[in-house]
Amino acid sequence: MIPRTAAQVLLQAGVFGPLRHAPGRTLLAIAAIALGVALGFAIYLINRVAADEVAVAARSLFGLADLAVEGMGAGFDEGLYPTIARLPGVKVASPVVQVEAKLVGRRGALTVLGMDVFRSRQLQPAFAAADSGAAAPEQPVAGEPIFLSASAARSLQLQPGDTLHLQVGLQPLDFIVAGVLPAAVLEDRAGVIDIATAQWRFDRLGKLSRLNLKLASGASPVQVRQRLSEILPEGVQVTTPDAAASDASRLSRAYRSNLTALALVALFTGGFFVYSTQSLATLRRRREFALLHALGVTRRQQLLLTLLGGAIVGIAGALIGIVAGLALAQLGISAVGADLGAGYFRGAAPTLELHFAEAAAFCLLGAAVAVLGTLQPAIEAARIPTAAALKAGDVASGEIHGHGVLVAVVLLLAFAVLWLPPAAGLPLPGYVSIGLLIIGTVIAMPTVLRALLDRAPAFQAVPWEMAVAHLRGTARHATLSVSAIVVSFSLMVAMAIMVTSFRHSLDAWTQRLLPADLYLRAGYVGQSSHFDPATVERLRSIDGVAKLQVSRFGEVSVANGRSTLTLIARELDPAHAGDTLWLEQSTNAAVPAGAVPVWISQAAADELDLRAGATFTFTLAGRSVNAFVDGVWRDYEHARGVIVMEWQTYVAFTGDQATNSVWLWLAPGASESAVQQQIRELLPAGTEYDMRTPRELRRLSLQAFDRTFAVTYVLELIAVVIGLFGIAAGTSAQVLARRREFGVLRHIGLTRAQIAATLAIEGAGLGALGVITGLAAGALVSLILIHVVNRQSFHWSMDVAVPVIALAVLSLALVISAALIAVISGRQAMRGDAVAAVKEDW
Amino acid sequence: MLLVENLHKSFVAATPRPVLRNVSLAARPGDYVAIVGESGSGKSTLLNLIAGLDTPDAGRIVLEGQDLAALDDASRTRLRRARMGFVFQAFHLLPHLTVECNVALPLALNGISGPAARERIDELLTAVGLSDRRDDSPTRLSGGEMQRVAVARALVHRPGLVLADEPTGNLDAESAAEILELLRAQLKRDNAIGILVTHSTIAAATTDCTYRLTASGLAAIAAGSA
Repeated sequence: MIPRTAAQVLLQAGVFGPLRHAPGRTLLAIAAIALGVALGFAIYLINRVAADEVAVAARSLFGLADLAVEGMGAGFDEGLYPTIARLPGVKVASPVVQVEAKLVGRRGALTVLGMDVFRSRQLQPAFAAADSGAAAPEQPVAGEPIFLSASAARSLQLQPGDTLHLQVGLQPLDFIVAGVLPAAVLEDRAGVIDIATAQWRFDRLGKLSRLNLKLASGASPVQVRQRLSEILPEGVQVTTPDAAASDASRLSRAYRSNLTALALVALFTGGFFVYSTQSLATLRRRREFALLHALGVTRRQQLLLTLLGGAIVGIAGALIGIVAGLALAQLGISAVGADLGAGYFRGAAPTLELHFAEAAAFCLLGAAVAVLGTLQPAIEAARIPTAAALKAGDVASGEIHGHGVLVAVVLLLAFAVLWLPPAAGLPLPGYVSIGLLIIGTVIAMPTVLRALLDRAPAFQAVPWEMAVAHLRGTARHATLSVSAIVVSFSLMVAMAIMVTSFRHSLDAWTQRLLPADLYLRAGYVGQSSHFDPATVERLRSIDGVAKLQVSRFGEVSVANGRSTLTLIARELDPAHAGDTLWLEQSTNAAVPAGAVPVWISQAAADELDLRAGATFTFTLAGRSVNAFVDGVWRDYEHARGVIVMEWQTYVAFTGDQATNSVWLWLAPGASESAVQQQIRELLPAGTEYDMRTPRELRRLSLQAFDRTFAVTYVLELIAVVIGLFGIAAGTSAQVLARRREFGVLRHIGLTRAQIAATLAIEGAGLGALGVITGLAAGALVSLILIHVVNRQSFHWSMDVAVPVIALAVLSLALVISAALIAVISGRQAMRGDAVAAVKEDW
Repeated sequence: MLLVENLHKSFVAATPRPVLRNVSLAARPGDYVAIVGESGSGKSTLLNLIAGLDTPDAGRIVLEGQDLAALDDASRTRLRRARMGFVFQAFHLLPHLTVECNVALPLALNGISGPAARERIDELLTAVGLSDRRDDSPTRLSGGEMQRVAVARALVHRPGLVLADEPTGNLDAESAAEILELLRAQLKRDNAIGILVTHSTIAAATTDCTYRLTASGLAAIAAGSA
């Protein structure tokens, strides 16, 4: 059947024919794009639904409120409530006491909301239905009633009538589950109790955490905010439910973005795979392109035809990738939940929802990557000198162009963009720089290959000489085959160096920040459990305890409520703070009169744009603290920025003498286990606390670290496998094209083993080229990851550590894999009939 | 009408190497000429210049009233598509198209389809003796068969000028004779200008007139078998 239109015949000759001609390579290219899109889409989906759940949960705490008045830490005086409720424009003011109640016998805490039932119904009408429909316990039991959210009941496996064990200080506090609220009422993992009970039971008498405000119809939120700001004391701020939801998801934003970017490395590698296969096809089909031009196909039409081939591969791969990504995300959520290791979404059980726009965006991304990968080969195809190519075919495959100026420009650009600030809080310039660096490396590869071949030692062995000669003669094929593996291997090297640096730094940090012999922790930031002063004194008097220090966690509001930071009050010597904290900056300047010394984490320094020696104010327990930054310290533990202040100063400002952590140094010769036993006997039975040695804490922190990075290892490995596709496709294309050459060699006496050895040497040579350029580029990329991407994403610095043995093993494995792939790809050609091969015209 | 006037062409190397000097040629529809010369004398270069695949350093080429120098690459491509046909020594069939599709390619590129296209393709395939191989891949054909397909492709859209570069160079004597006869017959039937570049005196003898290309230009040496 003859084609009816020029488009049909051109599509057949220039697009579908070539795609069908090498089905293996076409399918590999589609698979590479599909895998990249699938991984990127799956990771994005899992992170997005988890973050959505966190945001929705945070939003649900506010019900139908338009605004909320919030106080950090211990909250604010309830005397403010009637004043605000009477403000013009405020229709309903619903007071809330919010406590992170420590769970007994379980990990973590439960958000307990103390609410005024009458008021809260006006902001969350569904409470009424829940209240009336709640199943009453069948028999009277001891304990206050609590209504659990559906998610809390599910995760705690409790139902109406069950007892919920909580802890305040070291005292147990039991609640009876009076009902389970419908999921729509309260999305967060929380429980609702009467506000008076909350104030009484959780030591918050006279205090409120928040006032949810519903504005009168027609009232201007701006005007109400203005009126509120005039009457609110320090440390109490106005917020909106949306801002709270946004703040909740902001904490994990850098982690989510970086993990999605890492997942997209596979797609990036897939793009280079498409580039290498299309470039190889262009070299192989020089005569076809020349013929089409001679017969009247314009260069513009040729460019479009080649790009169309790339687009078809991209769209097919992207569509498969979207379906596979969706399945992968569903599988991931079912198998391990929405938390991919870092702990940001631990316990979240989201439902996967597909948004068409997101799927379309990833689909377009996959197609765009494939088209971009095809662009340079397409331009080359359109510029093939027709007459020369018709006469000489693929003579250009041995040419090497150094592109020195282009490489220099690309690398200079890569360096220059590093000085740009983060975009929307994300290290996009760092990623652009990494992309440019990798592209520059790929462009520079011919020069590297030429340098390697010029220095190749001479051995009196036929396979060696033939392999070196062949690589010289097909230099462009060689560098193209290896470009995808260079991309993936360099990124794997970079990740390996970055992860090792981080792990080493974390380990050193843990040891430096844990100088005591034993650690006791009753609760964390905002949690209801703590040690009282009497308990601390009894701990101090235990036999074998030589020294004891305490610390207290809280939250403070900085810069008129624009930032919320974690506060750690610790016993430390201001003159020797570096003994306790890992200081990155310090100052010898004296503390100004009226100021208190504080040490802020790098995240806090970045957020507040402060350096050692600067002063700033923050609000603590309703009082303004004039703080002097005595040092900036390295912190790997907290998602938010941290302010460390002296314990005594904290007590002087707040009067709060409760402590969250106790650090114990043992007397010389004291038995660790004996001291632990005494502590267990001293603390009330059935209370929740953590008692750990530095060894255990170190082990736990490294376990958490490895769990966090486990997913990154998998993603990197997949990228390298895609890179190996490139070597497989390139080598098999070459081997097929060399059937006649092998036939001639067999005619003149080479054995199959010698041809196999030639192929193995060529494969190993390509692998070595990938390893050398990958190691060099990877080392540079790791520096960008460590000093730019991590610093801008997570605001922590780390010291560079290179996993020499792991990289050596990886490099060797890659070279061996490349050699094996070359030999396996050549088996088909070596099996062929030598006579037939020599006779072949095609 | 093809008019070639005072063509000059040098190849740029360390020192420019002149290939063509003062080459002139005129041919009318129905003329079939051979160009012979030693290897490296510039025969293929002349053909490339006439086809618009390369540009001369001096001189001009006018085909059917259009000066090739006045056209850009896209316009020359369109002119080539509509008014020229090619036969190469190495056949140059597209491996991804069937025999029929290879022949149909120039028609499709010129927007000719439907019964007229089918009729013309049938006519050419019958003329070259391959009507029963129309659905085969070119890879299944012998060298002679491939060149017959190439001849059909070169003539299917009734070009005014057919350029043949050593069309029998890869063929045995019997196949070569068949191809040369076929080419001549079709050119005459369509009243097209034919330019045959060859080393072979036997091939040159099938044309109307033979020119020798030398360092000083093109010189007529013999009348052919017209």
